[in-house]
Amino acid sequence: MSKHTFSIGGIHPQDAKFSRGCATEVLPLPPVVYVSMAQHLGAPAVPCVAPGDKVKVGTVIGEPAGFISAYVHSPVSGTVKTVAPRKDMLGNNVMHVEITVEGDEWEETIDRTPDIITEIPTDRNAVLDKIKMAGVVGLGGATFPTHVKLNPAPGSKADCILINGSECEPYLTSDNRIMIERPSEIIIGAAIMQMVLGGCRCVIAIEDNKPEAIASMKAALVDLGYKNMEIAVLKKKYPQGGEKQLIDAVLKRQVRSGALPISVGAVVQNVATALAVYEAVQKNKPLITNTMTITGDLLPVSGQHNYLFRIGMPLSFIAEQAGGVPEYAAKIVSGGPMMGKAVANLDASAVKGTASLLYLSKEATKRKEEGHCIRCAKCADSCPMGLEPFLINRLYKAGDLAGMEKASAQDCIECGCCQYSCPANIPLVDNLRMAKGQVMAEIKNRRNNGK
Amino acid sequence: MENKIVSPNPHLHSRNSTASLMRDVIIALAPAMLLCVLCYGWSAIMLLALSAGFCVLIEWAIAKWMMRQPSIFCPSAAALTGLLLALNMPPTTPWWTVLIGSIVAIGVAKMSFGGMGQNVFNPAITGRVFLLVSFPQQLTTWDIPRGFISSIDAVSGPTLLMQAKLDGASTVANVDLLKTFILNPGGSMGEISGLALLIGFVYLLCRKVVKPWIPLSIFLTVILVSSIFHLCNPALYTGPVFNLVAGGLILGACFMATDYVTSPMSDWGGVIFGVGLGFIVMMIRYFGSYPEGVSFAILIMNMTVPLIDRAFHRKKYGYGRA
Repeated sequence: MSKHTFSIGGIHPQDAKFSRGCATEVLPLPPVVYVSMAQHLGAPAVPCVAPGDKVKVGTVIGEPAGFISAYVHSPVSGTVKTVAPRKDMLGNNVMHVEITVEGDEWEETIDRTPDIITEIPTDRNAVLDKIKMAGVVGLGGATFPTHVKLNPAPGSKADCILINGSECEPYLTSDNRIMIERPSEIIIGAAIMQMVLGGCRCVIAIEDNKPEAIASMKAALVDLGYKNMEIAVLKKKYPQGGEKQLIDAVLKRQVRSGALPISVGAVVQNVATALAVYEAVQKNKPLITNTMTITGDLLPVSGQHNYLFRIGMPLSFIAEQAGGVPEYAAKIVSGGPMMGKAVANLDASAVKGTASLLYLSKEATKRKEEGHCIRCAKCADSCPMGLEPFLINRLYKAGDLAGMEKASAQDCIECGCCQYSCPANIPLVDNLRMAKGQVMAEIKNRRNNGK
Repeated sequence: MENKIVSPNPHLHSRNSTASLMRDVIIALAPAMLLCVLCYGWSAIMLLALSAGFCVLIEWAIAKWMMRQPSIFCPSAAALTGLLLALNMPPTTPWWTVLIGSIVAIGVAKMSFGGMGQNVFNPAITGRVFLLVSFPQQLTTWDIPRGFISSIDAVSGPTLLMQAKLDGASTVANVDLLKTFILNPGGSMGEISGLALLIGFVYLLCRKVVKPWIPLSIFLTVILVSSIFHLCNPALYTGPVFNLVAGGLILGACFMATDYVTSPMSDWGGVIFGVGLGFIVMMIRYFGSYPEGVSFAILIMNMTVPLIDRAFHRKKYGYGRA
């Protein structure tokens, strides 16, 4: 089979997946955890516990505050100490529940045995409810509540669910590890979502730089014997894991500007989300754990790790467990180096979507002095949305809102390809993000006035 | 947690820089420059060094003292302009002509528009054309100076294009075009070897510095136009292969027309640019008063770039097929 990839733009940064061979380790429990109420896209959850309350692992401590919102559960057993705003990773004040850890007692409903339950339930609504009650959110980066995504609006129907195992960001290896170590659970999770969407086709997409993961997933799929499911090996290219790029790569369809993937019959879910769905539906286990990578460009192999962490663990505690923040680190990134966020506050706690602690050296990450555009068009050649960043950048500086909209600034996915490629070190993504914000506000304004 | 950098994504950058791209183009010119040095000896070394040196010096001086923006000075880009200017002159060009050419190329064509990335016209070509119309004698003296390799049987005399213009197309019908393509002393320095230039251009393609569309469309247009004319009247019009290898077409198409700043930014725009350029080259060669038209064609097409960029955009995701 010939390998596919998306059709427009893209870049080939150095792989740097140094921690690909590090088996997942389970982190010990910290003395105290701080569980954020804003671990998902949408309205933050509302705390439903008070200081002094006793909680177990899996007890609900936050309830959704709207349609697009999610439950939050206690990741540990112990006593709620405070319910108060606290600074998150970026330095924003967010409501947190502080829990003092006492023992490790789990809710009785949670199945903690290692048995793999292969039987797929058939009651769609019951499964959706379980996913919702377990607080499952998309773990590919956006943390969009999964039960909402799996329940398309009436009139739209999914004909294919894509399970995203491309992990196209350099450095990150947690998806690679779970595909190697827990392939059956991921595939069963995928099959459950397939059932929820009405038995559509299911494609698990993995980039060709993860041969072990591909072999492991293929073997597990053969063992389970699911018929309407296949594994697609994709040619490595960033940002393949972008929802729109993955749909283009696998299905050869393009989502129209401003539309959702479901408009072309596709739903995209990450492999880690599939695992979370498996645990939620088959094991009654809410989303309180996830896998993250500890890595860096100058970090020795002994310092590289893949950890199974519990939400609410302070990042500083996790860093300590891995041997502390290395001396060379000039920037700590949570997430991949292309789209991740720089950590402003290491005392913040891990959240559902935390993917990594990436220590970058000054040489690797330092921004160089901005030069003059030499019109080389490398930004436009690398843009996976087919945009012309040089043009949008110019229009943004000129304040030409109509021009920015015509140039489709609103379609920018902020993947970073343009800025990565720019030989003049122009901060294109910074400016395009601002341009996008202005155009989106204008579009929203127009829509509201039109009504 | 003190002293950590916090900035938005992306957190990595490719190794590309303006200077590294310019360096790659200079490396790509190396085979041709080496042949020049071998065939023309110290004259070639002097001309290349003087021209590059003047251009770097002039750009530095203007950036520092006239524009008061030292950061706009890019030595590798200025040196590249200087080298290309030298390759557009005959090896015997006197030093003062080189100086005037450098002043026009850098001072007038580049810095007066705002420097790096702002110029409308290709600086090296502007410098050459200015010299060609101001000092035609110095620019069309085709004496061949003593080189380091004496065995090359170079003959001083008019270039092939000039011969075709003055004495008719039939007089160049029996020229060994393969030899001309491999090594052809006489004419401007950059016309010495199409092969050496193409080797350099392949290097640029491999390094993904430039894309092949502009040179390809120029070559194909030249082949098409000259084939039609040649088939109609071979006695009057030179043939396609002759037009490809004679004169400065390969240098112009591969290294001057592909200049980032003065060529279109989209692939299809580049094709239109190349087709127009190839057509104008052939019109000047057949019907103009100058024997060679590559420089003029590049300048004329440079003017159309803003219009082409306005008309041709990339195919955006999610606007075509549903």
